[in-house]
Amino acid sequence: MQLLIEAIGFGIAAGAVIALGAVGFSVQFGMSNILNITYGSLMTLGAYVGLFLIDRGISPWAALAIAGVVVAVFSVGFHRWLLAPLVRRGTRAFAIVIVTVSAGVVLQYVIVIFAGPEAKSYGEQSAQTFHLGYLLMTASQVTIVLITTVLMLALHLLLTRTTIGRAMRATASNRILAQSCGINTDRISDIAWFLSGTLCGAAGVALAITTVSFDFSLGAVFLIPMIAAAVLGGIGQPYGAMLGALVVGTASELAAAYSNPAYREVVAFAILIIMLLVRPRGLFGTAWATRRLMT
Amino acid sequence: MRILRNRLASTVALGTALLLVACGTSTGTTVPTQTGPLSIGVIAPFTGPAAEFGTLLTAPCLVATDMINAAGGIMGHQANCVSVDDTGDQADAVPNVTRAIATTSNFDMAIGLESNTAATTVPLVNDAKIPFFTTNGLSSFNTNSLAYYYRMTPGDDANGAAFAVWAVKQGYKNVAIVFQNNIGSEGNLPGLTAAMPKLGGTISLNLTIPADAASYSAEAARVIAAKPDALIWSGDPQTTATFLANYKSLNNGVLPAMVTATDSLTPDFFSAVKKSVGVQYLTDQMWLVGSYFDQTTPAFNTYKAALLANSKTHDIAGGLSNVGPPAGAYDGINIMALAMIIAGTTVGSYYNQHILDVVAPKAGATVVGNFADGAAALKAGKTIQYVGVLGAAKFDKSHNSGGQFAADKFGADGSATQVGVIDGAQVLQLLG
Repeated sequence: MQLLIEAIGFGIAAGAVIALGAVGFSVQFGMSNILNITYGSLMTLGAYVGLFLIDRGISPWAALAIAGVVVAVFSVGFHRWLLAPLVRRGTRAFAIVIVTVSAGVVLQYVIVIFAGPEAKSYGEQSAQTFHLGYLLMTASQVTIVLITTVLMLALHLLLTRTTIGRAMRATASNRILAQSCGINTDRISDIAWFLSGTLCGAAGVALAITTVSFDFSLGAVFLIPMIAAAVLGGIGQPYGAMLGALVVGTASELAAAYSNPAYREVVAFAILIIMLLVRPRGLFGTAWATRRLMT
Repeated sequence: MRILRNRLASTVALGTALLLVACGTSTGTTVPTQTGPLSIGVIAPFTGPAAEFGTLLTAPCLVATDMINAAGGIMGHQANCVSVDDTGDQADAVPNVTRAIATTSNFDMAIGLESNTAATTVPLVNDAKIPFFTTNGLSSFNTNSLAYYYRMTPGDDANGAAFAVWAVKQGYKNVAIVFQNNIGSEGNLPGLTAAMPKLGGTISLNLTIPADAASYSAEAARVIAAKPDALIWSGDPQTTATFLANYKSLNNGVLPAMVTATDSLTPDFFSAVKKSVGVQYLTDQMWLVGSYFDQTTPAFNTYKAALLANSKTHDIAGGLSNVGPPAGAYDGINIMALAMIIAGTTVGSYYNQHILDVVAPKAGATVVGNFADGAAALKAGKTIQYVGVLGAAKFDKSHNSGGQFAADKFGADGSATQVGVIDGAQVLQLLG
C-alpha cells in the first residue's frame, strides 16, 4: 500500500512536469495546427537558460520564470519568421513537420556548441521531503506541482475569462470567421505562441530540476511522453493535455514501482494506444480536433 | 585481332604474376607491402548517448601513435588514429564500419568495438582481415573462433562476479542490484547473481532501469524499502546522477555505498555525480571494480606519462590510466605494431599470425613494455616478449586474456587510486 501511494505521488509530480510541456504543445497545435517537434529543443534551451541564470546566483524558481519568457520570445520568432511563411506558401503539413524536426536538431547542436555535450546540473537538491500519510514528495516536486497548478489555473482563467482568451479560442475554432469578426488573428497567434513558449521554457527548467542531471538531449527525450499526454488528452485541448499528463506520469511511475522499471515508458505508451483505440479523439477530443489533426 | 592478342597476353601475364605471388606466400618469402601512413581505426561511439566512450578510447590511440611516430614509425610508416563512429547503435554501426573499411587507406589495425555494437562490428572487422583489440565484455565472445580477434580484459560476467567478491569483502552482504538496460551493463548480471549466493550474500532487489529518465523516484523508493547494505550499480553519468539525487532526497539525505565498474572512472561521471550529490559521496562511498594492473611498472609509468604529456589527453589521464579497456587498447596497438615488424609487413592477414609471438614468453627474450624498446630490440636481432600496461598477456584459444581484478576509489579531483586486488582465480571459480 505504501509503495502504491508513493508511486501515485511521484506520478503526480512527473505529471506536473509533463503537463507544463504538454499543455503548451497543445495550445500551440490548437492555434496553428502545426506539429512542432522543435518544441523539445526549445525546452532544452529553457533548461540551459535556467542553468546560465542559476550559475549567476539567481534562484531556480526565478530562473524558471525568466527562462519561460526567453523561450517565449524565441517561440514567437520561430513561428512568425519560419513556420508562418511556410504555411502562407501552402507548404504541406508533413513538410512543415520535417522543418520543425530539422530546426530542432540545429538548435540542439547550437546548444552543444555553446554549452558543450557533457551533463550539466543545477546543483544538489534539498533533502527536505513532505509526507502526507504514505504520500511522499521532495521539496522540488512539491514546488513544481504548485507552480504547475498555478500556471494551469492562470491559463484556464485566461482562456475563459478574458477577451484575449476568447479571441484565442475563436481563432483556434475558425480562423477566417474570427478575422471576419474583427479579431487580429496574427496578433492572437503571436500571443498563443508566446504563452506556449512560456510553458515550454518553464517545463524545460522544471524538467532539469527534476532530472538533476541533464544534457542537450533533455527535451528531445521528454518530447515523446509529452506528445503522448497531449494526444491522450485530445490534441489541441489544453485541459485534455493536463489530464493526459497525469495519466502518463502516474502510469509510468506505477509501472516502475510494480514491474520491471526498464519498461516504465512502454506501459505508458500501451495505455495510450489502448485509450486511442477505445476513444480515438482522446479524452477531451472533439470531432473538430480530429479533423484538424488530419488536415 | 591485335587487341585480342594483347588481352590474351595480359591475362597470361596477370595469371603468372598471381601464381608467383601465391607461391611466394606459401613459402613465406614474399609479403605484400603498403605505402603511406597506417590507419588505426578507433571503432567506438563518437555521437549519441555513449559518445564519451569515443573520447576515452581515442586517448590510448593518440598516445600510442605519438610514441610509435616518435620512434620512427612502423618500418617507416607513420600511424594515425581514425575515428569510426559506431554511435553505440548496431543499426548505425554496420554501415559506418563497412564504409570505413572500404574507404580508409591502409586500415591495418582496429581498437574499440565496445559491447553495445560488438555483435555486429566484430564480424565485419574480422571478415576484413583486420586484427583488432576489442574492449567489449560480451560473454558470447568468451569462446570464439575469430582469427583476428583479441581481448585483453575479462568478460562482463567475470566483472559481475568481481563486483560480488568486492562487496562481500567490504562487509556488504545484502545488496541491491540496479543496472541500466544496455548490453554492457546487463552483461555483468549473470556473474553477479551467480557469485553472490556462493559468497554467502543476498540480493534484496534486482532492478533494470531505463537510461536518462526524468525521474527515478519510484525505483529509489523500492531500493530504500529493500534496505540494502550497498548498491551494485551500472549506469551512465546522467542516469547515475538522477537516481542518486532522487534516492538522497527520499532517504533523508542518506545514500548507500556503491560498487560499480571502473568504466565509470571518467570526468563526465565524476562531474555529473559530484554536482548532484556532492564529492564526498564519490570519494568515501563508491568503489569502482575492474581489471587489475600493477601501477608501478615501467610500462604503466610510460603510458601514464604519455597521457599526461599529450594536451588532448592530459585532463583525463588521472582517471583513465586506471581503467583496463583503454590500457588494453594501448597495449593492443603496441602489440600489433611489433607484430608488423616481425612479419615484415603491415598487412593484417600476414602480421596477424605473429601477434601471439609478441606476447609469448620465450627463453632469452628481451622483455619490453613499449613500442620503441620493442622495435629497437627487434632491429638488434633479439627476440622479444611484450609485457605492457596490463602485464603479461596470456591469450587462450579464443584470444581472450583476462587476469586479476582491482578496486579503485575516486580522489577529490576525479583521479583514481587503486585500493585493493581481487583474485582472478576466485572470480573464475565463482562463475564455474
